[in-house]
Amino acid sequence: MKRRIPGILILGLLAVFVTLVLAETLVVKVQSTSLRKTPKFYGAVVQTLAAGARLEKISSQPDGWIQVKTAAGAVGWIHSSAVDVQKFNLLAMGGGLKTQASASEVALAGKGFNKQVEESFRAKHKDANFAEVDRMLVLKVAAAELEEFMKQGHLGDWRGAK
Amino acid sequence: MRVVHRLAWVGAGLVAGWLLAGCSAVQKGTGMLADVGTKAESRRQAVVKTSSAVRSTFSDITEEEEYYIGRGVAALVLAQFPVYHNDALTLYISALGRSVAEFSSRPEIYAGYHFAVLDSDEINAMAAPGGFIFVTRGLLRRCANEEMLAAVLAHEVGHVAAKHGLQSIKKSRLIDAFKVIGQKAAERYGPEELSQLTAIFEGALGDVVDTLVLRGYDRKYEYEADALAVKFAAAAGFAPQGLPDFLKVLIGAGATGQGKGWFKTHPSAADRLDRVNSVVAPAGAAAQFQAARTLRFQQNTKGV
Repeated sequence: MKRRIPGILILGLLAVFVTLVLAETLVVKVQSTSLRKTPKFYGAVVQTLAAGARLEKISSQPDGWIQVKTAAGAVGWIHSSAVDVQKFNLLAMGGGLKTQASASEVALAGKGFNKQVEESFRAKHKDANFAEVDRMLVLKVAAAELEEFMKQGHLGDWRGAK
Repeated sequence: MRVVHRLAWVGAGLVAGWLLAGCSAVQKGTGMLADVGTKAESRRQAVVKTSSAVRSTFSDITEEEEYYIGRGVAALVLAQFPVYHNDALTLYISALGRSVAEFSSRPEIYAGYHFAVLDSDEINAMAAPGGFIFVTRGLLRRCANEEMLAAVLAHEVGHVAAKHGLQSIKKSRLIDAFKVIGQKAAERYGPEELSQLTAIFEGALGDVVDTLVLRGYDRKYEYEADALAVKFAAAAGFAPQGLPDFLKVLIGAGATGQGKGWFKTHPSAADRLDRVNSVVAPAGAAAQFQAARTLRFQQNTKGV
């Protein structure tokens, strides 16, 4: 018991603790999106990300773009509207009194109004035109086509360009 | 000295305790990282306790739930209005709508923005939650150029981005839904919960469809969508005159169109024009190269 605890150890532990509490994890909330090389919707895609993918925030820009790192170490940009910010709430850990789910829990579990609820609704409402809704989803403008459309119309990055 | 030592040990113990709790929390979270976010896998995981906040308002509706609400609303709208099937036209409108959506406050939405043309002579445009956007043939005929149509689409994107549709769902319904949804961690609902939830879902869709088709939004939401439309369209590079020009056309059509479509569900075009003019001036000078856009607008909407 004579050994002294080095102050540096305590400081180090505190630093790790503070980092953990403040660590900002981002969770992809859209069905799928791209991790992009630059903070723009055009251009190179690093990889595709699916709903529920977790990312570590590196930095952010006022225009809504966030630089992130994936678990595998890939670095790129994602728009803030595609992610939820999740802070680990240590105080809530192990609290057994919770009776209802938070939005992020529901999102992760795929619960709430989901496919099962839609199927149950459809069984009762044959008139609802889901066939046309699915047709809307199929008609898509590819990223390259959209880029061409904006170029042709002198929009976005191409405004003012001849 | 001894007291100081003891205090130091206690302090270190406390920190270590917190740290262990923190590590277990992070492990629970990062366990999901390994599977590169495949949803099926993450659903199998125990629900991660990351926040103790309980859901209470429309803003707590998840992206996926909004998507399913939007699908339902769109299906009911499309039960009333037939679709005008013209893929080339729809793809043009989709590209135009996406051009403004990417410069909106909500470029990313669960399943992306999707568009359809309704086969109706009414002058009307609607947006269901989740990014399902509709414009009528009647409205397309009234637009003289791409700037006007871009402004209409930007107005609808504004409703989606500001979640106006979700806000028309009765609060009591949401509270009931959150209660049922929050009760169990099970992956699928049992028959009783499912029938409760389906009834609430039905009611919620009714609230939104009534607002879109019959009652219209509260005026303040329309003015907000107008202001957002000017902002998004200008950010994308369109001339800010698109919306005021379209509203002038509406004023002109007022005598014949009264009581239908946008006239029924929107504040008077003259009121909107007054307000829009005050936001258009600061939005900046006229965009260049409008001629190229007008030309393709004319080509794509020919014969509509």
